[in-house]
Parts: sequence; C-alpha cells; structure tokens
Amino acid sequence: MNKTKNMSGRFNRSWEPFLYLLPFFIGILVFTLYPVINVVLISFKEGYRLLTGAYTAIGFENYSKVLSDPYFINGIKNTAVYIITVVPISTMISLLFANLLNQKIKGIAIFHTAYFLPLVTSATAIGLVWKLMFNGQIGVINFLLGIFGIGPFEWIIDPNMNIYTLIIFGIWNMLPFTTILLLSGLQNIDPLYYTAARVDGASSIKMFFRITVPLLAPTIGLTCVVNTISASKVYGELFPLFNGRPGIASNLYTVVYYIYDQFYLKWNLGKAAAASIILFLIIFVFTMAQLQIQKRWKYY
Amino acid sequence: MRKKHFRFSFKKLLVYFFLILGAVIMMFPFYWMLISALKTPAEFNTYPPLWAPGNWFNMDNFKQAFAMAPFIQYFMNSVIVTLCCVVITGFTTILGAFAFSRLKFPGRDLIFSLLLSLMMVPFEMLVITNYETVTKMGLINTLPVLIIPFISSIFYTYILRNFFLSIPDSLYYSARIDGASNWKYLWRVMVPIAKPSLVTIMLLNAISCWNSFLWTLMTINSDRFRTLPIGLYAFMTEGGSDFKLQMAASTFTVLPMIVLFLFARKYIVNGVARGGLKG
Amino acid sequence: MQIKLDGIVKKFDDVIAVNNFSMIFEEGTLTALLGPSGCGKSTMLNMLSGILPVTEGTIYFDDEDVTNLPPQKRGVGLVFQNYALYPHMSVLDNICFPLEIQKVPKNERIEKAKEMARLVKIEQYLDRKPKELSGGQQQRVAIARALIKNPRLLLLDEPLSNLDARLRLEMREEIRRIQQETKVTTIFVTHDQEEAMSISDKIVLMRDGFLKQVDKPQRLYDEPNNLFVANFLGNPPINNLVGKIKDGRFVLSDDSASIRVDIKQAKEGEKIVLGIRAESVALNDQDPDFTAVIKERYTMGKEELAILKVGSGELRVYLSSDFSHKAGDTAGFKLKSKGVFLFDQDTEDRVDE
Repeated sequence: MNKTKNMSGRFNRSWEPFLYLLPFFIGILVFTLYPVINVVLISFKEGYRLLTGAYTAIGFENYSKVLSDPYFINGIKNTAVYIITVVPISTMISLLFANLLNQKIKGIAIFHTAYFLPLVTSATAIGLVWKLMFNGQIGVINFLLGIFGIGPFEWIIDPNMNIYTLIIFGIWNMLPFTTILLLSGLQNIDPLYYTAARVDGASSIKMFFRITVPLLAPTIGLTCVVNTISASKVYGELFPLFNGRPGIASNLYTVVYYIYDQFYLKWNLGKAAAASIILFLIIFVFTMAQLQIQKRWKYY
Repeated sequence: MRKKHFRFSFKKLLVYFFLILGAVIMMFPFYWMLISALKTPAEFNTYPPLWAPGNWFNMDNFKQAFAMAPFIQYFMNSVIVTLCCVVITGFTTILGAFAFSRLKFPGRDLIFSLLLSLMMVPFEMLVITNYETVTKMGLINTLPVLIIPFISSIFYTYILRNFFLSIPDSLYYSARIDGASNWKYLWRVMVPIAKPSLVTIMLLNAISCWNSFLWTLMTINSDRFRTLPIGLYAFMTEGGSDFKLQMAASTFTVLPMIVLFLFARKYIVNGVARGGLKG
Repeated sequence: MQIKLDGIVKKFDDVIAVNNFSMIFEEGTLTALLGPSGCGKSTMLNMLSGILPVTEGTIYFDDEDVTNLPPQKRGVGLVFQNYALYPHMSVLDNICFPLEIQKVPKNERIEKAKEMARLVKIEQYLDRKPKELSGGQQQRVAIARALIKNPRLLLLDEPLSNLDARLRLEMREEIRRIQQETKVTTIFVTHDQEEAMSISDKIVLMRDGFLKQVDKPQRLYDEPNNLFVANFLGNPPINNLVGKIKDGRFVLSDDSASIRVDIKQAKEGEKIVLGIRAESVALNDQDPDFTAVIKERYTMGKEELAILKVGSGELRVYLSSDFSHKAGDTAGFKLKSKGVFLFDQDTEDRVDE
C-alpha cells in the first residue's frame, strides 16, 4: 500500500496497462524482438534454409566466410570511403546552409521550402534524375563541368567513376537532413550572446568563430555521428543509379548491399545474418559515441 | 551612418546570393526531372542540353509511361498502404505512449529503456527473419505485407510518450475525479492536446511509408501490388529504359509528397529536427 | 456535509507525511489547511479527494466511510494550484466536462454551466480558450468546473499562489463570496497565514505531519497553544525572548534583564520562551513591567514601530506615536494582558494557561 508513491497507481486496475500495450507489443515482439534474437541464432547456423529452418552445423563458419569474402571486404572498404567523404563534406556545406537559413530576411520561408524539399522525395525517383544528369553523352553535369574545362566523365559506364557518382549523390541527399539538425542547433543558441558580443564590438566573422562554432559544437558532433550511422547503411542510392547493381561492374558493394545480395539474391541466409550482425556491431560503436556526446554536452 | 547602411545591404546581397545558389543546388534535380519529362525526343537528345522544354504542356511522355505501366494502380496501392500504416501505427503508438507515460505497472521504466535500446538495431538486421515470418503468414505479394510489420514503432512511441509526460498531472487527476475513465481521458484530453506531436509523427510515418524501398522490393513482385517507388524501379529495369518516360514517372511518384510537404512543412521539419526520419 | 478524520496516517515508504490526524470539518464552513511547505497539508488534501490512499485511519463524509472509495465516487470538486484547465477546450466545454462524463444531456449541462459562469462572473468569456484568460479568470473557471457537479466537498489547493498581489486580494474575497452563496463545505490549502486569516471560518495549522492547532482565526492568534502557532501567525512576527522564571519574574538567559509577567502555571526555574506580540506593549513609566532602551523609531502613520533593547534581547513593537522619547532614551514599558505568552523551551507548549 505505502509503495504507491506515484499517485496514478490509484487509478488503474492492474490489467489495464496490459490492454493498452497489447497492440504495440504484438508488433514489437513479432517484428523487432524475435527477429533480433533469431538473426543472432541464424548467424551461427551453417547452411540455414529459409522456411524449413534446417541447418547443417553450428559455429562461427558464417562469420569467417563473410570476413574472408572479397565482396564483403569490398563492401566495408566502399562504405568506409563513403562515410569519410560524404559525412564531413555534407556537414560543412550544411553548416553554411544552416547559417544562411538562420538569417531573418524577407522570403526566408521560400528558401526553407527549397532546401528541405528533398527530405520527402523518394530516393529512387531522385536517383533516376541523377542518373540522367550523370549521363556521359547528354548529361547536364558533364555540360556544366565542360564550361570550366573539366571532363567529360563517364559517371555511370566507367566502373572506376562509380564511387564518385555515388558520393556526389550521397552528399546531396544528406544535405537537407543535416541542415535541419544544424539549423535547429543554431536556433537554440540564446540570441543574448550575440547582442552582448555586438555591444562589445565583435565583427560577424568573429561572432561566428567565437560564439556560433563553440556553442554549436555538440550539435555538429551529434550530427556527424547520426550521419555516420545512416551512411554506414548506404545501399538504396545504388539501385536507381546502377540498375540495381552495386556499381556497373559490381565493384561497388556496400555492407547493406552485401546483406541484400547474400540474402535475397544468393539465399545464403547464414552469411547474410552474420554480415548484418557485423553491421550492427559497427553501428553499436557509433551509437555509443553518440550517447557519450549527448551525455557530455547535456548541461552545456 | 551612410557607410554602415551600405555595408548592411551589401552583406544582405551576399546572403541572398548564397541562399539562391544553395536553393539552385537543392532544387535543380527537381527542375531537371520536370523539364525532361516535358521534352520531345528531339529536344531531349539535343546537346548541349536545352534548359526548358519547347512546350510546357507536352504530356506525351506521361501518356506513354502511363500506357506502359499501371501507375494509377501503383498510386492507389501507395495511398492505401500509407493510410493504413499511418492509422494503425498511430493507434498503437497512442495507446503505447499512454501506458508508458500515464499508467502505472511494475517494471514500466525498465521495459521502456530496453525498448529504447532496441531502437539502434538497423532494420536491415531484421529483414531476414521478418521475410521468413511474412512468408509463413502467407503475406508475400499482398498489400498487408507492407503494413503489418510496421504496426509498432518504438521511435514514434518514444516521441509521443515524451510529449504526454509534459502534460501536467493535475489535468489527469482533475478528469479522473470528475469520473472520466483512462480511455475517456486519453481520447478527450491527451490526444487533442498532443495534436501537433501526433500530426508530426503521422507525417513522418507517411513519408517513410510512401518511400519505403528495400522491404517492398523483396516482398512484392506482382504489378498489382507494387507501390509507386517500386513500380517506378520496375519500370526502369523492365524495359522502360527511355529516360524521358522515367522522368515522367518519377515526377508522378514524387508529386504527392511534394504537395504534402508544401502544406505541412513546419510539422515535418520540426519532426526531423527531433531526430525523426532516416532511421 | 460534515467531514470526520479519524487517526489518519500517511507514509511514503518510511517517511511519515501525516501523523495521527483527527478532526471534524463542520458542514458549510470554509476551512484553511495552513502550514509551511512540507507540513503534509497537500498530502492531507489529496487523501480527502482520494487521489492518495491513506495508510491508516478512516475518513467519514457524514456517516459514510469513504476511506476506500475511489476519487470519482466521492463527489468532491477539486481546484488545482495550476487550475488544470483543458487547454484545447473552450471555457464552456471546460465547465461542462464533469457533466459530459456523467452523460448529462447537452442542453441541460450548458444551462447548468451558464449558471455556474454567472456565479463566478465569467459569463462573457464562455467561448474563449483558457490561455486567453487572466490568472484570476482561469481560477474562476476552475472553481465553476469544480462546482458544476454539486460536490459534497470543495477542495482548493493553494488557490491564490499563482496570482499577483492585486488579484490575490480580489480572488480571496471571491472565494469567500462563492462559498457563502453555495454553502458548500470547503477546505483549502495555503502556506500564507494572511490568506488563511482573512477568509476562513477555521484554520488548521500543521507542522511536520502533525496537527498543531485548530481554531477560529482570531482565537488562533489570540490563544496559540504552542510556540510554533504563535510564531507562524502574525505580521510582524511575534517577539521571542529566551529565559527562565526566577522569583516570579521572567529573566533573560544571560540575566541581562528581567520582565514582570503573570506567570500563572509556570514553575519557578522553568526554562521559558516569552512571546510578546508587537501590539502588546505600551509605554508606562509609572508602573513599568520592564525598562528598555529605545533603539530606533519608525513612523508608520498613527502608529510607530520601535525597536526596544531589553538587556541582550530585542523587541519590535507598535507604540502609539504620541510620546516624546527619542532614540537612545531609556523608558518603562507595560505588557498588555492580550498577546503575551509563556512557552516551555523544550515542549514549546503554552505554560501560562
């Protein structure tokens, strides 16, 4: 009786919360919790067969196969290159964008719409547009580069160019989301700091580097980690650009594409499961980094 | 004084210049998609490329694309799937968030933090088992396969729970003393107050549902049940290699979401700022 | 309705919030639960409404034992400190809500709501949303909503603490008026002694979970039965001098001064706190109870606040301003019969009754 510290204890019968949670929990149990456990189990089963659930042995075979698979190593390499180019570049451009969008000037709402519109559009549809723009013969990108005497490049047909094609599309794709996070970080900075600095005679440049950047640092850090996590899952961009293949010569595997390939195209379920566990471990490390940043800057 | 005024407007000019440059970069693919869809074959193949179609009302490409693949059917499928997702997920989210914020049961906060830790599991890791599950349920190649696996969202429940927690306790006690049941209080008081949060959640859910790709690609392979993005992708791989027609189909695919965005930009942007969308 | 509390105890884990609380609230009265924060007054209110279960003891509404009755079945109206108005509903819908829950027909409940709105004088704001009203108007809406279902008991939790000073005066008169018009038994919680003194029929003074004293406001002020009650009521606060009884007089602890008092039941040598209200001292050089140095004088209209030095002790007293002594002079003073109390130092109980 005296344990009912929270007053709402007085107001619900013991079975009532269960009814409210039932629909939610059915979805979570069947489609999140069970799959998490099951995929760990599958990753240790050799020769696992879909639906029958038959397997030949239990062990680390799948992991050693995956880790020695040149396609997986190719996938890890490409994903890493993708992350270390796309994340910093898109963050820097977004920082500029966010500062522009944070200006209180006429017509800024129109610009907000223009900058953030790509958020809601299907990556497949927009990927097709980029494929057209990247076209070696009639593509507008080669035309624009030609004005500056650069190119032409065979963005789609030349396998060695494919990674650049993917990176450019990836950067563009990441800009709206990153800009929104940084913009909301900017809007959380107390304008009093700027007023005080202006009274002290600070220039705009000085205010940017002495107030904006340090106060925005936690947001920038967080944005980078969140983007790194989403970049480590890159695959969807490949489908429209290269006709559903990982690069025109299948040399542009990514980690998630490898999982899709092993699972859906080659039916190596054990290997797909092992690869997805490895993906999870990579993401887990980044998530821990994210939590550390959040904890550290909580009282900033 | 005059000098300061001049510098001020110069700075403004610079800001506008970069703003427009950025807007061009972000909008250009959409513009290119539209004009390519409106070009005649001759216009399309001209190099250097034409910056505008000869006739802004040339619907030939649209007509041809619609004749080659059932885009209206795709559109209807997308609408049905998205509406069902939004309504069903909205319902489970409201009930779950209410239980986790307002009701009291043993282990509540422990269970909730365990759920939160599940949030970092990427969907890609769940795909294998979920594929197996829906196959056993006989859902492959039906519309429910695009809805049922997504009936519960930890993330949306988390957002809504946090909002529910910000509603003062006194409202609850007041309503309960007046004789309102939990159910009545939830729908008559909490849900109306949480409307902005709910709208945001539903919009984010609608967007990710509409654009869903990998799962749909794996579970749907009949024309009858394709959604727009998958229909578009199939159109590209199954013979529609004509860029003009692809652009017409792409335009049709992104248009509904663009309209949605124009009407609900603030809600969507706020939701994204709180970490929604893009997993 | 009469409310009877019998041996109420409330524990939160091992912390005792309310301790063996027994009393009767008379029908149709306005009672204040008064005390410093953390004294258990809000806990008491929440047990009356039923939001909190009691650990021990019984609550009777008239002859009905309601101890285990859930809040919605007790027929109480509760007004929260933050008013708890539903922000998305109009004033009219807010007031109607309790009747909506009871499934009263729409016409009937709107009729009733308008009557309530007239009672609390907000009939011109029925279409507004709560956030478009001032704090005082929101308070009125909350009271109307609490009263619409004809509660047997009206409970108000710190009803005036969210208002500014001017509105506070206005609303406390209003609460009094509404209570007298409706005759509903009303209990309100407050930490403000002035608020409690000005409108309530009775004050229940609490400390650390204990009921210290219950009485009419004036009697509580005139006859406090312990030091806490004497100190809590009154502005400026009562003067406390620490000392003992020696040769039938009160002597300060360090023997620096003595005061002639009527010691009544106090025993020789007993350690005493002498409480003297600011208005209970008068200048009297002919037959002084004590002499003191006038340290400072502040004119405040027809009265004068003086700080007197009595040995090592200090007294703040009101004197009528027609005297010629200057600051620094020594003078004789007499204690009035009212407003002078002797308390035991250890038990803090009155010893002069």
